[in-house]
Order: sequence, then C-alpha cells, then structure tokens
Amino acid sequence: MKIRSDILRTYQSIHTWTGITTGLLLFIAFFAGALTMFKSPITHWAVPENHVLPAISVGQYNELVQQATAQYETASNGFTLHFAPHQSPMHHSPMTWYEQGGGRGLSIDSHLRQASFNEEGELVSVANQQNVLGDLIDQLHRTAGIPGKAGHEDIGVLVLGVASALYFIALVSGVIFLLPTLVKSFFSLRQKKGANRFWLDTHNLIGITSLPFHLLIAWTVVVFAFHDMLYGGLSLIYGDEPMFERNGGSKQVYSVAELPPVERYFEAVGNMVDGYDIVSLTFADLATPRARLSIEVAGDGKLQRAAETDIIAMHPFTLDVTYSTLSIPENGAFGPLVKSFFALHFGNFANDTGRWIYFLLGMMGAILFYTGNLLWLEKRRKKQAKQSRSVTIMAKLTIGVCLGSVLGVATSILASKWLYLMGVDINLGYINVYYGVFIASLGFAFWQGAAKSAIALQALIAAFCLGVPLTTLINALFSHNTHWHVAGGTLLVDVMALVFAWIFFAAARKTRQRAYQGEPDSIWFIPSKVHATPGDSVQPKTI
Amino acid sequence: MARLSAEEKIQPHWWTKSLAGAVLGLTFAFAVVGIFAWYGPGGIQAPNKVQFNMWMISPVWLLILSFSFLFRTGMRAVLILGTANLIAWATFLLLRYTL
Repeated sequence: MKIRSDILRTYQSIHTWTGITTGLLLFIAFFAGALTMFKSPITHWAVPENHVLPAISVGQYNELVQQATAQYETASNGFTLHFAPHQSPMHHSPMTWYEQGGGRGLSIDSHLRQASFNEEGELVSVANQQNVLGDLIDQLHRTAGIPGKAGHEDIGVLVLGVASALYFIALVSGVIFLLPTLVKSFFSLRQKKGANRFWLDTHNLIGITSLPFHLLIAWTVVVFAFHDMLYGGLSLIYGDEPMFERNGGSKQVYSVAELPPVERYFEAVGNMVDGYDIVSLTFADLATPRARLSIEVAGDGKLQRAAETDIIAMHPFTLDVTYSTLSIPENGAFGPLVKSFFALHFGNFANDTGRWIYFLLGMMGAILFYTGNLLWLEKRRKKQAKQSRSVTIMAKLTIGVCLGSVLGVATSILASKWLYLMGVDINLGYINVYYGVFIASLGFAFWQGAAKSAIALQALIAAFCLGVPLTTLINALFSHNTHWHVAGGTLLVDVMALVFAWIFFAAARKTRQRAYQGEPDSIWFIPSKVHATPGDSVQPKTI
Repeated sequence: MARLSAEEKIQPHWWTKSLAGAVLGLTFAFAVVGIFAWYGPGGIQAPNKVQFNMWMISPVWLLILSFSFLFRTGMRAVLILGTANLIAWATFLLLRYTL
C-alpha cells in the first residue's frame, strides 16, 4: 500500500513521541494487569491455611447467620455470605464481616472476621487482617504505582487515562506508518539481521496481531479514568431529562431475625436469569431504612460487568430488585452492549481459557512497550562508544522502571509467607517491599548504568521467582510448624513462578553475552578490563 | 505520484493541530453523541442508553484527534473542525428546539 511520504513522516514522529512518553507507564499497567487475571490464586497462595474456615452446605447458612449475629455485635449490621465452590480465596470462609475498615475501595488495614461451623456443628470464628495482595496488584495495574488522590479519584488512574489517550494515537499512527511495509514483512521475524531488526519485527508482529485488544484497552481505560467528566458534559446535553433513574425501595426498618432463608435468594436469582451461580450475598445497613443486599453472580462463559461477576442489587427483606447488570429485558438493548465493553476489558467471558488468553495478551502488551523503548534507544544511538545523554538516561529509566516493577511484584509475592512468619502488618509489608525494591532498582540502574543493571535485575527476578516454589516446598516439608499446607489450587502460582524464573534466567544470560561479546558501540556493552586498553581492536559487528 | 511542492506537503504545526483535535474534536464528539442520544434508536429514555452515550464520546474524539495531523496546516485543522462543530451543534439545537 502506497502512502505519501510526508504523511508517513508525520505519523512516525507522532508514534515516536506518544510511545516514548507513555511506554514505561503502560508497561507496568499491562504487566500487573496480566497478573490480575490470576489475583485469586496469587492471594490464595499468600494467605495462611489457618485463616480459612471449613465450607458448609447451603442449608446451614441460615443457622450460621442467626448464631453469628447473636454472638457478634459487629455482624448484625452487615456481613457477606460466600458460597462454595465460588468462595474466593480472598475471603474464604462461609461468612465474613468487617470489624474494622471495609467499605468501598481498597483498604489495607481492614480487619475481617470469619465464621463457620466446625465438624461438630459448633460456631467457629477467626479474625485477621484482610490480605489484599491481589487487590494491591490490581491497584498497581490501575495506577502504575503512582500514589495519591485528587478528590475521590486516584491520581495514577487519571495519569493512565491521559497515557491511554496518547496510546490510542500511538496505535493509529503506528498502523499508518507500518502500512506500506506491512504485507512484505508482517510475519517475518528476522533474527539474523541484527538485534534492531529482531526487536522491530517482534514489536510489529505483536502490535498488529493484538491491535483489536489494544484499541479496546486504550478506549476503555480513557472511559474508566474520565467517565465522571464525560457524564458531566453529557448532563448539559440531557438538560432537564434525568440521566439515571432512581429506584426508591422500601424505607421500613426490619431486624436481622426477619431475614428470609438464603434459599429464597437462590429462587429469586433463578427466576431472573438462567445459567448463573450465586458467588456471594453482601448485606449492608440491615438495621436501618437503607438496608441493602448486593448479590454477585457468576455465569459460565458469559460477558460480565464486574471483574469476575455480574451484580444484582435487591432489598434484603422484600427482595425487590433495584438494579442489575444482567442481560435481561429490563436493561434494554444498551445494558448488555455497555456490559460487553467492560467484559472485553476484564476478559471474564471465557472462564480460565479467557483468563489465559488475556494473561498472554497483557504480557505481550508489556513486551510491546518494552521493545518500543528499545527501538527508540537503538535508533538514536550513535556508532560510538560514548552515547548521548538522552539515550543513556532513557536506557536507565527503561531498565529501572520495567525490571524494577517486575522485581518489586516478584519480591512482594515471595515475601508474603515470610512476612506472616515475622508477624508484621502484611499489607503495609507488601507496599514497603514493592516500593523499596522498585526505588532501589531504579537507583541501581542510574548508578551502575543500563547494561550492568539489566543483567543484575533480570538475574534477581529469576532468583526471586525461583524462591516462590522453594518457599512452598519448605513449607510443605516443615508444615507442622508453619501456617501453610500445599493446596492444589495454588500449584499454578508455583509453576508459573518457575516458568518466569526460567525466562528471566535465560534473558539475563543473553543480556550478559551481549554486554561482553556484542557490539562495543552500544549502550548495552560493558568493556571487559582486558580488552579496554585504547587501540585494542575490538571489531564492531556490522548490522 | 507527482512530487509535492513544499507548501503542498503536510506542515508540522504540532500545537495548533493537537489543540484543534483535542478541543474541537471533543466538542464535535459531544454534538454527535447528543444527536444520537435524543434521536438515535430508543430516544432519550431507553434504559442504560446514557452509559452507551458516555462510552461513545471518547472513540469519536480520539479518532478525530488521531487524524487531525493529516490537515495540511494548523489553520486548516481549526477551520474545518470548527465548521464541522458549527454544523453538528446547529443540527443538534435545531432538532432539540423544533421537534
């Protein structure tokens, strides 16, 4: 396809600038986003077994609620019931409620009390600080780790919203200036024509094959970040027309003892829709006129509105439905349509297969941004040993930020079981470990340069990933004096950590080879002491 | 393809084109979505349509912004996008106050 050369040049500049300004942020967001597909197993891996209480049958829940609310004042106003087999590893027990914290949004110092029946049918209960490892990874995904709030919005979310608008432009411009050579070099992955070619082919192959995914992610992130402002603008267009209907439910005050048996909620959901299981029932403000029940339902292979479920809101005593995200006639044609945008971002519509595909797409996205930065660096480097300031700084940032965030997450996950043994505040521990490692990695990259730190950080990532299954093994061998037992559901985490350890070990070796045996006129070259004498002829390879 | 003279080629004009695309692109997107909101399928009161409308603003906006750099000069970007805005908003207001 022929495109005028001035258009190509224009869009090449746009692609370069939008790419280089957003690549580092998007790398963190995509890498962490890929991990959020498995945030339940990861949290499950981290949480001690003795924080979990036994599952019970559906018929036992009514008795559990009555006994627990009678015994615990804190439960009588609101609590959540979790139903097997959907009991999320983040709240494992049949019944949970907050003794401190809770509510909307991420809270790192929430204390959760859990209740169940033991084998003798007696009420058992434990209270723990809620482990939010999965939610912290999710927070990293949504904010790229940028802390702080502006009003009720996370600053990081707004920054990623702007970055995503630029990313959308980067996608369009990338496609435009790739079009002339697309047919010729699409599926070629030229390894023998020098590193530069290989990175370029990888970048283009990933970018074009996952283009629909990337366009969708860019669009949804802009909406997630700026929906309040867009609704604000729309309110001018709507004028006096109300944008949202208000459903006033019953204002009568009931008592917990009047709650209908849980089977009634199963019936109510069954009457509304087919093919959904109840994951949880969350009751709130039960003793007030604002009593609410929020039901999470999971459909097999259905497009869902929340990260892993659909939501039904109903009055807990009258069972009047006030809101739902189900694809039912009440939600018209637009409800399911809008829901599909959310579901396509969350990747929740094809069970584990979908999760794996989204995991790979997310990781490929991270590689897309990483290779994009490498291409920028390769393009600007000169055929000389001393590289320009902008190139060396960008190289250090690329290594420090990208590998630093990966190392930070790997260390946080690995630290989990050891932090529990030390008895520290677990969630604060995760945050301190992540930011400590991230900042140290960035500092190390600036101190030692891109070439050395790339080798060291990749080797450390490999070692810490290897530490995850080793920790599991140690716990399995000495489980009589620790909190953990090997559980089938978390074996996935160990296996994946092992795979990542192998990938980063291989990458560290390759980087090391290039540093000592590759082209000397490169930011990745480390002159060895023997060869560094002036006049010594180290033949540069021609690209 | 005949060689283009310097004036016929795309001029950079990054600031004017970016601003025109960002601001006028957004106002145009609101006008188009406004017409769709009131007179598109289901009318203004279709359930959950407000969410769909909100979702549609950003893709229209971002596509206009992305292609704003095809204008030969920054001034042309302002003029053409400005005219498109006038037409879209005039249509919206005309429909709103006559229908």
